[in-house]
Amino acid sequence: MAATGKVLVVFALCMFSIVANGDMCLGPQVTSQTYTTPEAIVSTETVFIVEFSVACKNGLKNINLYAEFGGKTVPASKIGEPNGNKFQLSLSDEHKKLPSGNYQVRVFDEEGYAWLRKAQRSGENLDNIKPLFTLDLSHSGVWSGPVLQSEFVAAMTAIFVWWSAYTAKSRLQQ
Amino acid sequence: MSLRTPTRRAKASNLDASDVPYRYRYKAFLRPSPNSRRTSSSGYNLACPTSQRDKMKLWIAALLLAFACYLPCGAEDETEARLLVSKNILNQYLVEGKDLTVEYRIFNVGGSSALDVQLKDDSFPERDFEVVQGNLRVSWGRLAPSSNVTHAVILRPLKSGYFNFTSAEVSYLPTEGSTERQLGYSSSPGEGGIVPLKEFDRRFSPHVLDWLVFAIMTLPSLGIPFLLWFGSKTKYDTPKSKKGN
Amino acid sequence: MAGGNKNKLSREEELLLQDFSRNVSTKSSALFYGNALIVSAIPIWLFWRIHQMDLYQSAIIFVIGTIISTYLVAMAYKNTKFILKHKVAVKREDAVAQEVMRKLSDDKKMTKKEKDERILWKKNEVADYEATTFSIFYNNALYLVLLIVVSFYILKSFNPAVNYVASVGASAGLLALLSTGQN
Repeated sequence: MAATGKVLVVFALCMFSIVANGDMCLGPQVTSQTYTTPEAIVSTETVFIVEFSVACKNGLKNINLYAEFGGKTVPASKIGEPNGNKFQLSLSDEHKKLPSGNYQVRVFDEEGYAWLRKAQRSGENLDNIKPLFTLDLSHSGVWSGPVLQSEFVAAMTAIFVWWSAYTAKSRLQQ
Repeated sequence: MSLRTPTRRAKASNLDASDVPYRYRYKAFLRPSPNSRRTSSSGYNLACPTSQRDKMKLWIAALLLAFACYLPCGAEDETEARLLVSKNILNQYLVEGKDLTVEYRIFNVGGSSALDVQLKDDSFPERDFEVVQGNLRVSWGRLAPSSNVTHAVILRPLKSGYFNFTSAEVSYLPTEGSTERQLGYSSSPGEGGIVPLKEFDRRFSPHVLDWLVFAIMTLPSLGIPFLLWFGSKTKYDTPKSKKGN
Repeated sequence: MAGGNKNKLSREEELLLQDFSRNVSTKSSALFYGNALIVSAIPIWLFWRIHQMDLYQSAIIFVIGTIISTYLVAMAYKNTKFILKHKVAVKREDAVAQEVMRKLSDDKKMTKKEKDERILWKKNEVADYEATTFSIFYNNALYLVLLIVVSFYILKSFNPAVNYVASVGASAGLLALLSTGQN
């Protein structure tokens, strides 16, 4: 009886873990596509858009994902068909605050997000919480126009040429 | 004057949340108006109650009022989600053939999470705008109260001219158990002029190659006279040394 | 002899006249107008490529602008040359004299007067040549500076056609004006 009870408990625990894992995405495979703002003349803010799709090994669909970037946590937007596991993340900030370089976005599932919020409330370090996966994006920087305007260079050269001519003329006319 | 709950219909909303739910005129109800005909429905002159019965009636009215006021307000605040969507164009210049960034910000100013939030923007016709990145139809499973989420789409205008940027639509379930979807509209950025690429290039492109060709073209006009003059100058410019001969 | 003297005098007179008149020979004139035309045609490239003016649509404006500019620039060339010629002549006097004397030192048949005449003529020629080339060089440089500054800084935001007419007109006009002013 006691043995059967123990077996039942063990079995229940195993089932529990299986059921619990059934909600989590195992072994996520991520394919992503990134867009970063190329020019600063036309756009007022730098925008990063990451479109990614997640394939779980245990075939989980319709999951909710949350991303953490620069201390801010946002839910990932779902795009495409409802159970297709395709997401989009939009991150925007001023040009100065997003210089060129490599950035990392940590993506959490529901459980990870709950841990994250708990850590935020208790003031713990957020880096300790392990994300579901991490997205790497590299931003090549915004082009804000040439350093030296070409007409400035042309004007300076022309003025220089004229100035040397003028000095020669003055010498001739002495 | 009766207190009424807002009907569930589509309404335009903008980002200013200050004028949001308090449309109930309980303040007007309390305003003492001895001369006006519009006293309270039971004809009270609220400035000076006369009898004991009047005082009791006043108290009951006040209690009912407070209760009635808080009931729908409370319901609105505590158990329903309310989303405000702002749509912005993050561009200084709208140029044909260059990226146009549209940003949607969704704020949940209600008291509970909004479920199954779906945002769709059909205001950009296929033949006039090309989607570079992002999606014009997007959804979120749940949006917590007092939180916001941003969504961006990159478009590319295919034609120049004036374009009226209109609102996007958002639909969501305001409470857990509700079956009817609440519909809302985002703010509309208004009319914008899309500059043709030629005009933009004229102002902002560096034209380095053109300047170099210009420099090469002016070289003979400047160089040949200069060399001829300089040759003659050096030939006849040494009288002192010649005098020494 | 008398006829010969008269001839020589008239030649001297001729040279003196040439020295002090503003009229240039046809060869010089052709040179001036040719250079002016080339310099006036160069802005068309700038306006076509950088201000994105359509060549065929603006052809008439370009042609009119070029003609007016050519006339004004050639005028500037003439004026500048006239002003410079004397100054150059004064400077080159000694060197030219020396050179001519060296060349003719072996020739004993020539009289001093003839040699002086040769020197004068050579001096005139050298001064003319130098003044012409320097005038073209200086005026071209000034024209380009004025054009670039007016077209790309002062009139930057104007309609391209207006920009062209105003900048070419202003540059050529200023050039002509400045050339008459100096002494």
